Amino acid sequence: MKFSTMLARSARTLAVAALAVPVFAQDPAGGEGQAGGAAGADATKKDEGEWFAVVNGDVYSGTGAVLRGATVLARGGVIRKIGHDLEIPADAKVLDAQGLRIYPGLVALNARGIASRFGGGEFADTFDPYSQNLVLALAAGITTVSDSGVAVKLKRREVKGVVVRERYQSTLSYSSAAPRGKSELDAKFEAAARYLRDYRDWEEQKKTNKDLKEPAARGVDPTIRSILENRSMARFNAANRSDLLGIARLAQKYKFRPIIEGALEGWTVADELGRAGAYAVVVPRARRDKSEELLRDGGSSIENAAILHRSGVQVAIQATSTFIDLGGIAGRDVLHLPIEAGFAVRGGLPEQAAIEGITIVPARILGVEHRIGSIEVGKDCDLILLDGDLLHYQALVQYTVVDGKLVYEKDKELYYAHIRPRPAAQPTDAPEARRDKGEEKPADDDTPTEGGDEKPEGKPAETPEDKPKDGAADEAVDEG
Amino acid sequence: MRLNSLLLSLVPAALASSAFAFDLQAIRVGRAETVSHGVIEHAVVLVEDGRIVAVGPDLPIERGIPVVDRPEWTVMPGLVLPYSRLGLDGRAGADFTPEVSPSPEILPRAEEYEEVLSYGITTLGLYPPGNGVPGQAVAIRPKGETLEEMRIKEGAYLKVYFRADARSKKTVKDAWAKVDEHDEKVAKAKEKWTKDQKGKGAKTEEKKDEAKPDEKKDEKAADAKGADSKAKEFVPPAADPKVKPFLRVRDGKMLPLVSISSAADWAHWLDAIGERKFDFALRVVMQRELDLYEVHDEIVKRKCMLVMEPELSYTTATMRQRNLPAEFANAGNKVVLIPRGEDLASHETWRADVGEMVKNGMKREDALKSMTVHAAALMGLDKDYGTLEKGKVANLLFLNGDPLEPGTKVVAVMLDGAFVHGEVRQ
Repeated sequence: MKFSTMLARSARTLAVAALAVPVFAQDPAGGEGQAGGAAGADATKKDEGEWFAVVNGDVYSGTGAVLRGATVLARGGVIRKIGHDLEIPADAKVLDAQGLRIYPGLVALNARGIASRFGGGEFADTFDPYSQNLVLALAAGITTVSDSGVAVKLKRREVKGVVVRERYQSTLSYSSAAPRGKSELDAKFEAAARYLRDYRDWEEQKKTNKDLKEPAARGVDPTIRSILENRSMARFNAANRSDLLGIARLAQKYKFRPIIEGALEGWTVADELGRAGAYAVVVPRARRDKSEELLRDGGSSIENAAILHRSGVQVAIQATSTFIDLGGIAGRDVLHLPIEAGFAVRGGLPEQAAIEGITIVPARILGVEHRIGSIEVGKDCDLILLDGDLLHYQALVQYTVVDGKLVYEKDKELYYAHIRPRPAAQPTDAPEARRDKGEEKPADDDTPTEGGDEKPEGKPAETPEDKPKDGAADEAVDEG
Repeated sequence: MRLNSLLLSLVPAALASSAFAFDLQAIRVGRAETVSHGVIEHAVVLVEDGRIVAVGPDLPIERGIPVVDRPEWTVMPGLVLPYSRLGLDGRAGADFTPEVSPSPEILPRAEEYEEVLSYGITTLGLYPPGNGVPGQAVAIRPKGETLEEMRIKEGAYLKVYFRADARSKKTVKDAWAKVDEHDEKVAKAKEKWTKDQKGKGAKTEEKKDEAKPDEKKDEKAADAKGADSKAKEFVPPAADPKVKPFLRVRDGKMLPLVSISSAADWAHWLDAIGERKFDFALRVVMQRELDLYEVHDEIVKRKCMLVMEPELSYTTATMRQRNLPAEFANAGNKVVLIPRGEDLASHETWRADVGEMVKNGMKREDALKSMTVHAAALMGLDKDYGTLEKGKVANLLFLNGDPLEPGTKVVAVMLDGAFVHGEVRQ
């Protein structure tokens, strides 16, 4: 079968091409071009497992590309093909996404109480694949969480392979509130950098002078060394302008990319953070007053995420509460990541950057971007299907797919089934019927009538009108 | 009637052969819950030497045999409670001590045993305390002056406490790794032994270099020749006492009883045992919300015996009540129901509590088995205990009505053929 061959080019290029020339994208010739050429890297992937296909949906790949009415085909939990007119194997499980948008599964940083009841690492041994919190998270579109720094895939009814990557961040403190710690960290970085420099010199000179002694690694902080060698990432928790500035300069000096959580006043030093190549994990709805002792800019800003993004900072978005909060601050908990991201959009963050802030950027922070965070060939088939714009408050996750398996169906679970139920879907079980339909599809797909049918569900056009009203009320509460 | 003729032929024989002819006794009751063969009205149970000799409706009773004639009584097999800490008060941590038995903890003549005997519990399975793998259960009869008198069977089952955590999983994996280690040791020893045998037996054939693939053939050859040279049987190296119980588990000689409390525990237990094939029973701690229905099909597929309290639970996050014991029993799993608590009162209301499950969808037959023959099966004792059948131990429970009704009282209890409770006039 053709399906064993993999895409040579990345889906991103293809997707962009498809965007630019939508007519050609549906051309059978284009489809063939996609299928051609097995890439060596992909050939090593397991060529086994169940086929799974999502058909007829609008694929928002998370890379900026959108493929309307396209098919995502996965095998063994890995996306094998994305495009139009794909031949779907007869034994594939097929999910009809007619009228739905397909996004990559969301990545929730620092989420607690989802990956296991008690937390505390060791998720391979404690992951609860049947918990209600897990279902709630899947219903919120979250397919990967990090808890205690460990990236955990939210598999349902399975415990194998849930840990995607063990913790590889090192939490550091670099604050003017603790000047001694600050200078100590400076010294550690200096020592580690000197050692690495000496080591490189030694390696170079060793070729000519064999008697040269290897520089001693004693006294070199292993954590700092791993950061400088890119084996782990430095993670800071900082909100103040001065602390952020300090971290940015430290990072620039020693050439590492810091992860900064909080970064409330990041907008005031965004250019410095951008130059440091920082990642910022922000809570767009977090608020803080300016310190009146200082003349400079300060305090929180609704534009924080937007300004950081504009300055080249990779912005990840996190909710106020990292738990599932059904009382108290419900609506600002981990289940409302897209709404949180929506607030950053209100402050000027491009929608695409907001989506990346809850998908690929947190995936990068966790070091799992090669598997998670966007819909691309070769990546894990973690998809969420919504009845509208991901960032729209009305959109609900209808289906969640993790590793090529359907793990959440809104209509079949307790929580949201009764809210705006979708009309019964056409049965698409018979593969024959499916293929026949597929052949006819390309002609119909872009006709306005079809799109018009989808509108009432999606309502993407209404988003900007609806939002200010809702948001204004929210902000008034925040500030008052 | 077949039973009749059998009885007639059997009784004189018994009378003639036995020096203690008076051992034979008959009990005629209104109703017998045989558990194995349904209900017999106007039943006669014939007991001799502590065993049931015959059960049947309206059996004629030879003259001279003492008869207890109580048409208002119902008889059923004595209750078997396989999962109990009754009369024991030891505490322990989370150790790996599979070799331990709770026997040393047992105090014969403890009040509790007499008390539960009067409730009709004629067999108890006592397990050692602690998490991890605390040891093996011992089956006892709750009456006796000494431990020896009470003890029925050591190593009734292996208690395993399992929760979805790193420690539990490591314990299980390590235990089986040790089994593999032992197996390897045995294989090596056997290879060596085979070689030695060959060396002794067949000097003409020099096959010493031949290795494993032909091991079996060599063995046979060695056996044949070994006979001449009076070679001994191969004796495998002794297993570590901590490995032995798991060897018994692997060989199907003992069930591990794995305590879990959620579907997640089940998932991680399966993950921990991997591809290994062995039977195990589940001890499920009943709670108000128990998501075990999530893995119902898997548990049914594996035909696991389940030990649970007779309690209803709810579908998680809802008020939808469900009867998990009935769900599993109806699917064909053997379900053992135990008293709801460790207090004596729970033991007294045990039958009625199980009756509650029948009112909520459990089959009556399954409910009766859950307290008798299934419970015995958990301990590998179902050949001798748990039903009213010929050849089984005469542990009988006499009641003044339906055993599953709350008002029904115990009127007499027979243990090993002797009345130990109730006023019985012959």
